[in-house]
Amino acid sequence: MRGAVAAQPRGNHRRGLSIQLAVNIAVLASIYALIGCGYVLIYRTSRVLNLAHGELMMVAAYLLLATASLFSGHPLAAFAASALLGLVVGAAVYLVLMRKMTGERVLAAVLATVALGILLRGIVVLVWSAQQQYPGQALGWSNPALALPGGARISAAAAALVLTTAAAYAGLFAFLRYTRWGIRMRAAGQNPLLAAQRGIRLHGVYALAWGLSTFTGGLAGMLIALDAGLEQTMVVIGLKAFPAALVGGLDSLVGAIAGALIVAAAEVLLIHYVNPLLADVVPFLVLIAMLLARPWGLFGTREELDRV
Amino acid sequence: MRRTALTTVLAASLAATGALAQDAYVVGLTGALTGPAAATYAPVIEAMRAYVDHVNGKGGVNGRQIRLIVADNQGEPSKAAADAKKLLAQDKVLVLINSSLSSTYAPMIAEAKRAGVPLFYAGAVCPKETYPPADPLQFCSTAFGAQYDSRFAMGFVKERAREAPRVGYAAMAIPISRGEIDYAESLTKQLGMTPVDKEIIPPPTPDYTPFATRLKDANANWVYSWAPWVTQVRTLEALRRLGWKGDYIAYAHIQAEDELERLKDGDLYVFGTNAFFQDTLPVHAEIRAATHRAKLNYPITQLTEGFIAGLVLEAALKGTPWPPTPQKVLASMNNLKVDTKGLRGGPIEWTKDNHFRTRQYYRVYRWDPAKNAIVRVKDWTALDVK
Repeated sequence: MRGAVAAQPRGNHRRGLSIQLAVNIAVLASIYALIGCGYVLIYRTSRVLNLAHGELMMVAAYLLLATASLFSGHPLAAFAASALLGLVVGAAVYLVLMRKMTGERVLAAVLATVALGILLRGIVVLVWSAQQQYPGQALGWSNPALALPGGARISAAAAALVLTTAAAYAGLFAFLRYTRWGIRMRAAGQNPLLAAQRGIRLHGVYALAWGLSTFTGGLAGMLIALDAGLEQTMVVIGLKAFPAALVGGLDSLVGAIAGALIVAAAEVLLIHYVNPLLADVVPFLVLIAMLLARPWGLFGTREELDRV
Repeated sequence: MRRTALTTVLAASLAATGALAQDAYVVGLTGALTGPAAATYAPVIEAMRAYVDHVNGKGGVNGRQIRLIVADNQGEPSKAAADAKKLLAQDKVLVLINSSLSSTYAPMIAEAKRAGVPLFYAGAVCPKETYPPADPLQFCSTAFGAQYDSRFAMGFVKERAREAPRVGYAAMAIPISRGEIDYAESLTKQLGMTPVDKEIIPPPTPDYTPFATRLKDANANWVYSWAPWVTQVRTLEALRRLGWKGDYIAYAHIQAEDELERLKDGDLYVFGTNAFFQDTLPVHAEIRAATHRAKLNYPITQLTEGFIAGLVLEAALKGTPWPPTPQKVLASMNNLKVDTKGLRGGPIEWTKDNHFRTRQYYRVYRWDPAKNAIVRVKDWTALDVK
């Protein structure tokens, strides 16, 4: 294969590059949006900032390793089982830990999520060791590259991530607008006292919010792991999505999409045209700019601002 | 009566523990057993612990046991500093061992210097202070060595390339990796090759494709990466998904042997200083037996580095007459020659001025699709360390 790297004609090359950059933005935005909606779901329902979201996402991704051996030869079944387990883990975290924080100051609840994160990181090392893992290999899935028009390419896992993000958001919008539990969740987020007086069981709603948050975060974690492998640094990827959620507004799902698109576009374009070293700081630069101009985010609610 | 008996038992056990400690060579290790960097360091630490158990099982060194105290610093400088203080003040260790990120070095060096105790880097990147003229207290057995690695790799690229190499680089955004890639870039020019793009990739990155897109866009036909394994391999995988067909050369970290088999990429070359298990040396059977006894959870292929560190530690203690002091261990380490039993291309030799090694040996491996196996592309090649 040596020496097979050939130059393309200039016009085709530039068009291909533009399409590839657009694909890169779409993939990164999908990652941030799918992770970010977990932060939004919990915050808009219970006003708690879940700083263990990265760890919960990682746990769900590791669960895929466990289900891969249980459903050997059935990757979709393993994936679905792991996603559902993620939902159960999220709800259990609320029922076992966060429920006890009811009535406490929000800061206490946030600190509880920090402690939860440390605990989960320890458990993951004990159960799965610190080694790099490849759930795709365990599932017998090779993650082929797909050719797109204009010479752009995308991995199958990245394409699945984009489609899953679209489906997850469509599902969430429909759930919140048209289903009884979705309406209850919105009501609990808007005015928990009134919602409780109307007979809505707040603990059930909050448990569902935690479950859905871990479910969507877990989907992101599993698809990232299928694309690039799995190890402890996934936690940091979970944190990188946080600025995107803040830019969009922490209590808005539409905002999470917009924030993810803005941060991803800034990151990909600055990596390509200015300096790859900017990748780490871009999300936070965008966040600072947004906090200066509009502290509640693009689609956030102004009165939800709370000075600490 | 019962209280007196309990007190007697407690006193007897404390006395026994003290006696055991006094009868043993006490060595302290702080490393990243958990945390984001654990994948690189935990197998080294566990293999070293297994090797020490293996030595103790054979009667120890000079008739004494080695007591290895292991602390987990999670790759955090503050924890490494606290560990070093405790190991030096409380456990009175003869040698401090670091198996962690370079960010943990400064506080440990300060503590080691204050106590006059040698500091041994095992599986952690060798700092420049171990190269000649070496710092009196710092020693290193770790396989990879800044500058020597790039000198070998760039020479290999020039030798191997069939057309003029246009070299791209991938580093992780940490000082050691960036510095090495900058050095490699300058070497590339000196060797008459063309550097075309350099990607400094933050750890961790959700998607490596934007960086790979730049490397591909720069029309590189070779990419050289000297970074933690995760950055090296994910950049390669992203490049391949984009349809890039060039050659890729990366450092053979502890994961390399398994990863060559997983990737099955005929144009990925890994160079390193440790023999692969596919070479089936007699010492590999020894490693297998020791790790089996220790019931280690890591693939056997990842344990060579820790085993070599164990060999070095054993040799250093063997040259330390009883009763041991840090000064006696230091004297032994300043005049050390360790037979690596074929795990490296030659012995690890430390002198008063050179605490790295006098010669660094490299081998290159790749996956051969025709043979469906890992093959040796270039056998031991020595670089003098001056």
